[in-house]
Amino acid sequence: MKTVITSIVISIILALMLSLPALAQESGTITITMTGVNEISISLDKTQWLPGEVAADTEYITSPPIEWCTLTVEGNCNVNTFILGEDAEWVDNPGAYKWTLSNDGTNGENVYGLQFRISGDTTRGPLGDGYVPITKIESEFWPYSGGSSLAPGDTKQFGLKLLTPNYFVGSRQMQTQITISAATA
Amino acid sequence: MIRCIKLAGFIAVLLVIFLPSYTLAREFKFSVSPAEVHIDDLSPGETSEFELTIHNKEELTHNFTLTTFQPPEEQRRVGRDEFPDDSWISFSSAEIEVAANSEAAVNVTLTIPREPKWAGKEWETWLGVAAESSDLLGVKLYVRLLVSTKAAIGVGSNAGLVAGIVVGIVLLGYGVYYYFRRKPKPE
Repeated sequence: MKTVITSIVISIILALMLSLPALAQESGTITITMTGVNEISISLDKTQWLPGEVAADTEYITSPPIEWCTLTVEGNCNVNTFILGEDAEWVDNPGAYKWTLSNDGTNGENVYGLQFRISGDTTRGPLGDGYVPITKIESEFWPYSGGSSLAPGDTKQFGLKLLTPNYFVGSRQMQTQITISAATA
Repeated sequence: MIRCIKLAGFIAVLLVIFLPSYTLAREFKFSVSPAEVHIDDLSPGETSEFELTIHNKEELTHNFTLTTFQPPEEQRRVGRDEFPDDSWISFSSAEIEVAANSEAAVNVTLTIPREPKWAGKEWETWLGVAAESSDLLGVKLYVRLLVSTKAAIGVGSNAGLVAGIVVGIVLLGYGVYYYFRRKPKPE
């Protein structure tokens, strides 16, 4: 009996000796770094534009044209900013009718264009007039082409241009959203 | 004839209302911290958790949504690859209501599957926080999540565990066998 107990005790001790270090290794150190107390934030001093009733195949520009809205970097870290558009949907029945957002600022049948222009920027965009198409693919707002990012307290003023479809169904209230986003530089 | 009908329709629909006109232009402020999270030495098979804090700096309660986003290559840090699968990241709540001038925390859990091919990797993905709004302009803030995994899965640790169990079973078995062998048989 004594031998059995001894055998069992020895076997348990050996099993624990070999397996515990192995189990301990399973919970090794993971380093999580939060980069200090960095806080990211941007603000826009306007979030709404009211063109009202619009005609087909017509351009509408915010007023003032390129200083309509001010983006301010509010956090404590440098940021790169981006812009993204989407299709405009009929407010009463979003799934039933929409204007597709073009990928180059031009228009078409039930296709509309959106562009932005940053104050002081006179050469950017396909026509070199500072107006850049807003598309459904997130693209650079500021900086662009590897320029300098925005630091806390920096501001950028910009305006929008809408080109309505050359043909659309009338008397329908349409709604869309432009998202301006930021990530640490 | 078709051109005439189309022209008539075109003239009839010259006027529409584009965008709602009942909301006044207003400023909107919120922040997210930390702005960047580094998780290093994560072994495939392991899980890591951290917290994101959303600060609503408005006088109104707002709903915020959390999503993952794969940044384009030119926006990723140098040497970082695309994160393989967004389903490895989960939020304690993908939508959260934050009261006026208050902050709320969301737990983010990251789990890497236990497969050798995910060892020794350096990835980047972004976590997007957006305030729900029906306004024309919306704001989304991205948190950079940089993840690096250990060079190899702990193969040795598994081997040790298995060897320990095997040795224990063998010794136990021998003990039982020895006991029954030595036990005097009833006459």
